[in-house]
Order: sequence, then C-alpha cells, then structure tokens
Amino acid sequence: MERTSSVVNINVLFFAKSRELAKTSRAEFTVEPVVKAGSLLIQLIESFNLKTISDNLIIAHNENYIENLEAEIYLCKGDEIAVIPPISGG
Amino acid sequence: MIAATADSFEIEKAKLCRKIAELQAALNAKDQKLRELQLAADNLLAEGEVQLAPRDHYTELSNDDIARYSRQLILTDFGVSGQMKLKNSAVLIVGLGGLGCPAAQYLASAGCGNLGLVDYDEVEPSNLHRQTLHTVSRCGISKAESARIALLELNPHCRIICYSNLLNSFNAMQIIPAYDVILDCSDNVATRYLLNDACSILQKPLVSGSALKMDGQLTVYCYGENGPCYRCIYPVPPPPEAVTNCGDGGVLGAVTGTIGALQAMEAIKVIVGLGEVLAGRMLIFDGSSCQFRNIKIRGKRPNCHVCSSQPLITGLIDYELFCGMNANDKDNALQLLEPEQRINVLDYHKLATEKKSHLLLDVRPPAEFEICQLPDAVNVPLAQILDDSYVQRFAQQLESKEYPIFVVCRRGNDSQIAVQHMKTRFPDHSIRDLEDGMHAWTKLVDQNFPIY
Repeated sequence: MERTSSVVNINVLFFAKSRELAKTSRAEFTVEPVVKAGSLLIQLIESFNLKTISDNLIIAHNENYIENLEAEIYLCKGDEIAVIPPISGG
Repeated sequence: MIAATADSFEIEKAKLCRKIAELQAALNAKDQKLRELQLAADNLLAEGEVQLAPRDHYTELSNDDIARYSRQLILTDFGVSGQMKLKNSAVLIVGLGGLGCPAAQYLASAGCGNLGLVDYDEVEPSNLHRQTLHTVSRCGISKAESARIALLELNPHCRIICYSNLLNSFNAMQIIPAYDVILDCSDNVATRYLLNDACSILQKPLVSGSALKMDGQLTVYCYGENGPCYRCIYPVPPPPEAVTNCGDGGVLGAVTGTIGALQAMEAIKVIVGLGEVLAGRMLIFDGSSCQFRNIKIRGKRPNCHVCSSQPLITGLIDYELFCGMNANDKDNALQLLEPEQRINVLDYHKLATEKKSHLLLDVRPPAEFEICQLPDAVNVPLAQILDDSYVQRFAQQLESKEYPIFVVCRRGNDSQIAVQHMKTRFPDHSIRDLEDGMHAWTKLVDQNFPIY
C-alpha cells in the first residue's frame, strides 16, 4: 500500500451529550489514514471521555453514517467525523 | 374636593376589578365543567370502538376550505389533491410540549382533518416559554385539553381527540392503528422506544423530533421499504446518567419550535406524497451556530430486534424496565446518603442564623447559581467536586475533620452525589447535604425565595 504520511489530522465534531463530555464542540484529531472504524471509535471514546455513551453513538464520516465497525475507512486531511448521541428531550 | 373625587374613583375602580375577577372565576369554573364533560364523553367514545370513530371521508373542498387554504392550494406540488389528502388524514401527536405544540399548530392550521393529542401532564408556568399553545389562564389543566382549546380556535374544522393518559404498552396498540402518521414529540427515552416498536409493528411512519439546550434532531422512522427504525440506529438505550431532560439541561423555545415545525412539515409530506421525506437521513440542528447537517444514516439493520424479517420483539414490552428510566421527564428523588449525612433546611437555617462558622457549597452550574443563591453559598459546580479540584480550593477548611461543610443544589440529588464523592476521600469529615435542596428552602424557610 502506498503511504505518503503515517498520520493525518481530521476534525471531530461533537453534538449534544458528547459535546458536554468532550468539553468542546470541535477538536482536531490525529489518526492513521487507514483505520478500522471500530478502532477509530475506541480512540475517540478514550480521548474524549465518551465512555458513558459509548454504546449509543452515531459516528458519521463526512456526513455519512459509518455502518460497519469492522470496515476500514480512508481518511484525508480535514475530513470530518461527527459524533452524534441521541437526544430524548422535547 | 378633587381629592374626594379621586378617592371615590379609586373605590369604584376597585369594585369593578373585583366584580370582573368574580365573573372570570365563574367563567373559568364553567369552562372547567365543560371540559370535564367533554373529556368524559371522549373517554366513553375511546372505550368503545377504536378511539377514533370512523372518519368522515370528504371528496371535495368547501368554499371555506378554498378561502382558508388558498395560499397552499396554489403550490404546484400540493394543490387540491394534496389538500384533500390532508383533510382525510389522521395524525397522532404524542407529547404536547415544546415540539408537539408547534407541530400541532401547523398541522391543524394546514387542514389536517383529524388530530389525536396524547399527554398525561398538566400545563405549568415553566412550560410557557416554549409550549406555544398553552396560556397563563390554562395552567393546571391537561396539556392535551389546553392544546385542543387553542387548536379549535385556530381551525374549528379540525376534529381533535384528546388522550390525557400516559401512553403505555396496552393503550398504544389501541390508539395508534386509527392514525396514518405518528409524531414523536415526547420527552423521554422509554416513550421513544415504545413508540418506535409500536409503529414498527403496525407499520406506521414515525416522525421523530427531539430537542435539548440548543440542539435538535429530526428523522422519519419506519418509512418505506428500507427505512430504518429507532432501534436500527440506537439498538440499546443510553444509561440513565447519560440522559439529560429539559428541566435539568434547559432548552430554548425557538429550538423546540424549529424542530416541531419541521415535524409538521415531514408529516404533511408523508400524507400528501410531496417532495423527499427525511427517511434514511437525520437532520442535526445546532442552534448555537445555526447549522443544519443532514447525515445519511443506515437502512434497516438486518438483525434489528423489531423491524428485521426475524424480529425478537413481536409485541410491546415494559419500556420503563428496558430503559431503566420512567416514561416521563420528571426527576426522581435519589436516596444515596444515610440520614446522618443529611441536614434538614430548618436545622441548617437555625445554624446559619446563629452565625456558626461553616462552609456551604452550592454544586449547581454557574448559570443556575446566578438565578438565586443562599446567603453564605459558594458556587462549586458538581464537575469540580467530581474531578477533586475543590480539594485544593478549600484546603484550609478541609484541614479540620470537625469543620462543618454543607452541600446544596436545586432539589437535593446532585448534593447527595457530591457528598457521596467527598466522603470517599474524607470519610470522617463533617460533610452533609441539605435535604431536598433549595426547593425545601422555599417551602419551609423563605417563601419569597425563587423556585425554578
């Protein structure tokens, strides 16, 4: 596999409860450019204090839901990963 | 002479005011009586057939319809056929709060022929900033009833049925079949799973909206061949400690209004067959930056417990048990501390008036501390207790085990969490929380202390 750099910087966007737990609405995150979705999720949970909602998250890559945590995802510099827990209020 | 005239004028004015107040009270009593009668009649109807009596089927618009709906009738993709579909439709709105009020308002005014309104709760003043159908004079009455009064004033042609009970696994399967589209405008996780499972089993489109603080979410579940359900997206409920309700987290009325109006729009699109329904996509609204994001979500989950071809759940279950949370957004009183770790507000008040040296930690967020605070309170938000940063700040007071430390919050739940946490580090210190918090203070010590 061709590799130009070993890591890339991506933007992580936090919504609702995840924003509270991560204490920010947006963070830059450094990650391998090809990574298993599940591994990325674990890294985000650990880095941003998301353990309490780890089973209740939608993770979207450039506004597309990541369906299969076993699949590898390909990340470019500046890509967006959105972390979306459910809201239940009304 | 002039003074005497002014006096008699004042007396006359007071008399009139009193008379008006008496008449108003009599009118309210009659109103209440009428509502009770109507409710009894509805319940009779509800107990009979399938809650919604057979709908009238209209085949043409009246002149009044044409005048009233003209601005939407001339929309190219809507037209007379769209209006007819709306007129013959029935929509169930679950929750007449911040989402349900604007949703019901737009559906009734757009000419939706039959509306079902479900809400067990009563109107209170803290609802009025976002629940736009309720009014000061209707505080204390059923939200479903209050909404009906407002909606009929807006559009008397709309047929409205109220269900002023908590939606549960038994009545849901009786109420829902009579409706074409269901709106989830509820405020709790258990009701969201209940509605999802019922709509999935009965194959009814579920327009799901939610809002908290400055955030909103919207999508349509159980719609079309491959449309996912709530469980496809969120198979397991969040742990109770990760769920914030509007009473604790706060919410801006314009945020619930935005999402509620969009729920009405999606319901109209589903009924009329207009445009592209928000299914398989989720709208994420961030009010603080005013950004809308459309996230493409998954289709049906092949092993979904309720909507897959081999479902594990084929009838409704106990959703409060499944979620470990009640089907409402009220806080339950926690019982974390032993009686000796707590102090009654009256005893604390006595001690404070005697000017006994002590430390009072108020663990509410700064925004709440700003609203009102007890005389000696120091604001230390719960997070600073839980991450132990308070230890350094109060090192001096913590030197002595005897120095009395008290913890207070709004209702006496967070204060218990704080004391429990502090006690693991300082087991022999005198640390107690104020039972039932500031609500008890208002009730027992100072009735002029604000309550929120």
